[in-house]
Amino acid sequence: MADKEKTEKAAQISLPLSRIKTIMKSSPDVSNISQDCLFLIAKATELFVQDLAVETLKRSREENKVDYKDLAEIVNTDDNLEFLHDIIPRKILAKEYLSQLNGGASSDDDEDVVVLD
Amino acid sequence: MAERPEDLNLPNAVVTRIIKDALPEGVNISKDARLAISKAASVFVLYTTSCANNFAMKAKRKTLTGQDVISAMSDMEFERFTESLQQSLEAFRKEQKNKKDAAEKRKKEKELNASSEAADEDKEKTENAGDDDDIVELDGDEEDEEEEENGVDSGQEEEGEEEEEGN
Repeated sequence: MADKEKTEKAAQISLPLSRIKTIMKSSPDVSNISQDCLFLIAKATELFVQDLAVETLKRSREENKVDYKDLAEIVNTDDNLEFLHDIIPRKILAKEYLSQLNGGASSDDDEDVVVLD
Repeated sequence: MAERPEDLNLPNAVVTRIIKDALPEGVNISKDARLAISKAASVFVLYTTSCANNFAMKAKRKTLTGQDVISAMSDMEFERFTESLQQSLEAFRKEQKNKKDAAEKRKKEKELNASSEAADEDKEKTENAGDDDDIVELDGDEEDEEEEENGVDSGQEEEGEEEEEGN
């Protein structure tokens, strides 16, 4: 890749800056945000998304699939992902939960989930 | 996160694309996982902002800077991102500077144009690329488009020499 292309690529972001700015401004005590800062946070967030996806795949049971379960696992084991504990909790199906309580399945509805932790 | 009137979610399509580009071809990601990563990304923005803000406040500044973000990364134990972020920051600043230079250049040409009656339909722009040294310094190769445009705007470059006279 030519240098110019590399530069352009490094300076590109897919995430919308306006939305990022909105999220940032919802944080208390934030007054002004420089262009550099806005750009970097957008970029960092993209890196974060990529990193999270790749790490989850590495730890997942299946080579070709990334499931919520795998994600919850890594969020609840990695130290620096602690800030995500409430956002991505481990989940089990309602029927599993109920069967644990009652010793028998009572729901076929896979959409019902119970949040643990 | 509490619900607010403003949407604090990032667009799903964009997040999905970022994920898919990061994963090898043929790998699937469940909808639940995708949504969770998207939420995580929003929270990441908040968390990073908060951390960066701490650095700014320590330095008694009211404006968050790029450096605050880099410091925040270390603080959050995401050092693995810092090198790439530094490079991106440099690239970004370079692009910003180029845009600014180009805009200033166009502005100056407009001013020149206002005092001459040459039309913008000067098609000889391509012949005259590179004659712009006395207006704004460029790095040369990167700015071919701007150079062409400048050839049009200054309008006096029938043979290149006249531009200098015009200044």
